This record gives sequence, structure tokens and C-alpha cells, in this order.
Amino acid sequence: MIKVINGGIEVLTEDWPGRLGYMGLGMAAAGAMDNLALQLGNRLVGNELTAAGLEIAGGYCEFAFTRDGVIAMAGADMSPTLNGEPMGMWESVAVKEGDRLKLSHFGEKGFRSYLCVAGGIDVPVYLGSRSTCLFGSYGGFEGRKLAKDDVVKVYPTELAGKDGRKLNPKYIPAYENDWELRTIPGPNSAPDYVTEEGMDYLFSHSFKISHNANRAAYRLEEVPDYFWAREDGGKGGSHPSNIVDHGYNMRGAINVTGNTPSLLIADGPTLGGFVCVANVINADLWKIGQGIPSRDKVHFKLTTTEEAIEARRERAAMFQADDLFL
Amino acid sequence: MNKYEVIIDTLPAKGDRVEILFRQAGDGFIQVEYGHEQRVELLDSFRMLAADKKIKDSKIQGLIETLPSLRANMVHFDPTIISPQELIDRIKEIEESIPGVEDMVIDSRIITLPIAFEDSQTKKAVEMYLKQVRPDAPNCADGYNLDYMAQCNGCTVEDIKHMLLTTDWYNSGCGFWPGGGFFWPMDPRCKMIVPKYNPPRIWTPEGAVGIGGACLFTYTTATGGGYQLFGRTIPTFQFSMKHPQFKDGPFLYRPSGDRIRFVETTEKEILDIYEHVHDKTDYVYDIQESQIVVKDYLEFLRDPEVVKGAQEFAAKQEEGSKTAPKL
Repeated sequence: MIKVINGGIEVLTEDWPGRLGYMGLGMAAAGAMDNLALQLGNRLVGNELTAAGLEIAGGYCEFAFTRDGVIAMAGADMSPTLNGEPMGMWESVAVKEGDRLKLSHFGEKGFRSYLCVAGGIDVPVYLGSRSTCLFGSYGGFEGRKLAKDDVVKVYPTELAGKDGRKLNPKYIPAYENDWELRTIPGPNSAPDYVTEEGMDYLFSHSFKISHNANRAAYRLEEVPDYFWAREDGGKGGSHPSNIVDHGYNMRGAINVTGNTPSLLIADGPTLGGFVCVANVINADLWKIGQGIPSRDKVHFKLTTTEEAIEARRERAAMFQADDLFL
Repeated sequence: MNKYEVIIDTLPAKGDRVEILFRQAGDGFIQVEYGHEQRVELLDSFRMLAADKKIKDSKIQGLIETLPSLRANMVHFDPTIISPQELIDRIKEIEESIPGVEDMVIDSRIITLPIAFEDSQTKKAVEMYLKQVRPDAPNCADGYNLDYMAQCNGCTVEDIKHMLLTTDWYNSGCGFWPGGGFFWPMDPRCKMIVPKYNPPRIWTPEGAVGIGGACLFTYTTATGGGYQLFGRTIPTFQFSMKHPQFKDGPFLYRPSGDRIRFVETTEKEILDIYEHVHDKTDYVYDIQESQIVVKDYLEFLRDPEVVKGAQEFAAKQEEGSKTAPKL
């Protein structure tokens, strides 16, 4: 069990791949914003890849363990300390009842850190997932972020042999400040919705992430007017970003409202009346969650579906690699 | 072909079927789109939902979920299990197996929902909006939205209420917010159109009934929102799944062509039903299994009286939309 001493900015229970199968009923998949860190953390503590962990955005939080366990910190380095002593990232560590884990805050690179615990976080499975959808206030721990004095349960599990694992450095993800997101155009692209020059702009420009970036949408800086191939949105509305309401290719859609593109992620809307010009490939979704709002940039790299499928296969194989740990 | 081309396959038009486009939408998504024209036609949705049901029923390996809307279906799949082309081929087979829309008979439940017009909770939402968001909002000039809706459609508040209560509202699919359905008037004489709030509200109570454009929505939980408000209906969603109606999931609506129809009641009655849904869990929902016979529906649309009524209303609406203040 984990007692929250300080809930910091935003600590949530999340798993991966999240709550699939309910988009057609208005429910986003939610799930970890950086699924790569969460899954690597799960591997470090001997969990299934689908186990839930705590997603820590920003930092400034503290936890006390009320039982012996094995933990790992994965993702952005927020200078974790265990009982005041520095604790390494990307390694599994034994904790004793009463131990305190404290996190400082995000630094130069990366925005989210994951606390993975052997056994996994024990919250009720709601519609197939332990993920919190913060925007709808459901799932996870009472549908909300954790607060002081909350006690989060952990599934009991055998601890022997699970501590002391270190991730092979070659598998530690590289963090940037201008994130390259491999991206596939569609469903609304050139020539019918966007001009070819507009798509060129999308694929050649670095977009600053707005301060208005959260688990539903990462807003980016605007595209120029020549982006649009149409005068208006026809039956969908007056602006060329309008379209008759359609389902969104969520997670990973580049959705444009007015001239503002947003990356729709985790808790984003499932359907709406704006064009989706492209989609960040599944294997690169994790990078969005590490983008620091109002500081980092993203740029899009034109990618084929075949390359994206290959990237999925490589990722799945990596989690099972013999040399994953030192 | 330009490097941003996304239409990766098509199925040609045949009979009353328009051309079907398959648009790539990422490594795990394909959008199936009916035609090139952005149009709002319930007949597209009839066909869409028939195909969607078949897609779901055929248990395609690797298919994760579908997200049908009026004229497009977003298909979510795992490309390491089924390739995009294999999936497209399966969907093409299904589309080919669907008869012309005129011969369709669609399973469609009729859900009767009581509504209290201009109840205290939705009134509170408008008051909050005026106080906290936009004090000069022309759509809330008299403290509520019904007057503005009447202005936009060149008719009276009584006409607005009458239209809401007269037509059946057809659900072209669910989405946007947990459990929410997108409802369209089946009677063209009741096709009111109103702009959305600008900017949107920060709070709307559970059960609020609103309209934006020509599309009606019942708010499944308290949330923000931009639709003009009529009043409040009973719960159409329950997170806790305590009530027997929700034992298999928190949703009342299914993405399969449900129709809702409203009956007017008092706010007291509505509040009483909330208690019987959420606390006592013994309210019995009025849901009839039924069908839409498309041939009969088309005949209804062609009925001279309906055509004349729809034209007359459209004319009033055009006048109204010219004089009503923009938002």
C-alpha cells in the first residue's frame, strides 16, 4: 500500500493500452501518456506490461510505503529520493514499510514520471481498464488525481528476485526538447481539405507546445491560412477546419480547430466537427506525454503505415529482449 | 499521386449506394466515408449503422472498435494482427452484402423520456454562464435560451416546444462525451436549427436537453457544453451501473439507431425519477423494441402535407436566421 503524503501537481493511476472498445460510446481510451516508460517500469518490477502504475506529471510529490515492496521509477528524472537518499531512475529497488519516496520536479527534459510497484496498483477495473479518465472523472482511483492522505492499494505478489534490476542503458528512451513524431497523413489531408503547401508546412515546421496542454489535447502553435484547401466547412460549419461531425483517430490525431492544431491523446474527445489531418504513429505516442507544455516543441516526420507497423513490432520485441536488463 | 494522398481504396457507387472511400488515418485507424460530399442525410446513417452492425458481428480478428457517425465510420484495429488491406477487403464484402437503403428495415428502439422545460437546474446553468462567462450573451437575453431558439427559427417558444415533443429523434451514433448520442429530427417539419454558445458554458447539469445546429444531445453527466437548452430529462447514463437498466454498462443509448421521444412533465416528477434511478434504482425506463421501415419513412417524407409543412417551416427559419443576433 502507498500512502500519499503530498499529491503534487497531478498523480493518476494509469495502465496501457487503456480502456479500449468504448470510443463508439463516447469514452476515450485514456491510459498512460508515456506508455513506453510505464511498460519499461512494469518490466523492471516483474509486472505484466498491462499493470497499472502511478503517472506523475510535473512532480512535487511524496509517498510513504505501508508495506515492504519493490518499486521502480521510469520516465522523466524528477530527482527521486528514498528516505532522503538519491534513488536511481530505470532500476528496481526494494522498499520497507515506512520508507518515504519524494520527487522534486521536472527538469530540462521530460514531463512525466511513472512509479511502478511490483504487483501493480490495485484499483477497480472499470470497463476493462484501471486507467483514470480525468476529463470524465471516472476510472482509476475514484476518477480523480491523488491527494494527501489517500491510501492506494497494491496487489500482493512475490517480491523475491524482483529488486536490483537495471535497465540496459541502450533501452533508456532518448528525451529531447524538439520531439520527432513519426506521422501518417489522414483522414483529412491534401488535396481535398488541406493544400499540399499546407501539408508541407505541417511536415517541415517545429511547433511549440502551448501552455494549454493536458491529458486530452496538446495544443500547438497555429498553422498559416494557406493551410486550407477549402473556403469553408460546407455543411459542417463556417471555418475550413469544420466538417460534418465524425469519429476521431484518437489517440494520436492531429486535430485542427480554427487554425490551431492539437494532438488528441489519452482523454481526448472521441468525435467532433473538426478535421483530423494526420495521426502520430502508435510507437511514438509516448513522446507526446513527455513534451513539456509551453517549452518543448514537436515536429512531424512523414511516415508510411508499413514503417509504423514495423515500429510496433520492434517495440513489442524490445520488451521481451534478453538483454533488457543488465 | 501526391505524397499526402490518403484515400487508399474505394468501392464504386452502385444503386443507391454512393462511392465509399477508405481513408488512412494512422497505423491503427481507417476511416470509411460515404461519398465526397459533406452532407447531412439520415439515409447515409441508416446504411452506416447497418454496415457497422455487420462489421461488429463478424468478429474480425484484430478489430478493436468502430466509431460510426452520420456519414463516416472510424475503424480502430491492431495492424500487427490484421493488415489495413485485409480489413478493407472485409469491410468491402460487408458493404456489398447490404441491400439498397430503400429496402432496409432497421432495428430501432423507441425510448420515451420525460422532460421539464426550463427547470431550475438548467436555468442555473444559464445564470452561471451570464455571470461568469458572457454577461451580454444574446442567446440568454431573457435568462434562458428558448426565446433565442424561437427567434432563430422565426417561430414562437410554443412552436419550439411543440417541435421537440412531436418528432422522434434518431441517434446516428454515440460519442463526444461518455454515453452521449447524436439525435436528429425524423420529421423535417421539426428541423429547428440554432447556433451553439460562443464561448461554451462551463457547467451543464446531468440530464440537460440541448440542441446545436440541427443535432440534439442529452447531457449524460454534468459537464461544460455549447448547446442551447430546452430543459431537463431523466438520467440517460449511470457510472455506478447500480440500476438494472445499466447492469451491463453505464450507457442507456446504443450506437445503433435508437430513437428518443419526449413527453412533457413537471420538474418535481423529473427529480422524483432521479431518486428512483440513482438511489432507489427501481425506475422502469419506457423502452420499446421497434423498427424503422425505410420504405415507409421515405413515403412519409414524400407525403405532400409533410413536404409543404417542411417548406413553410424552412421559409420561416430563413427569415429568423437573418434577424436573430449572431453569437
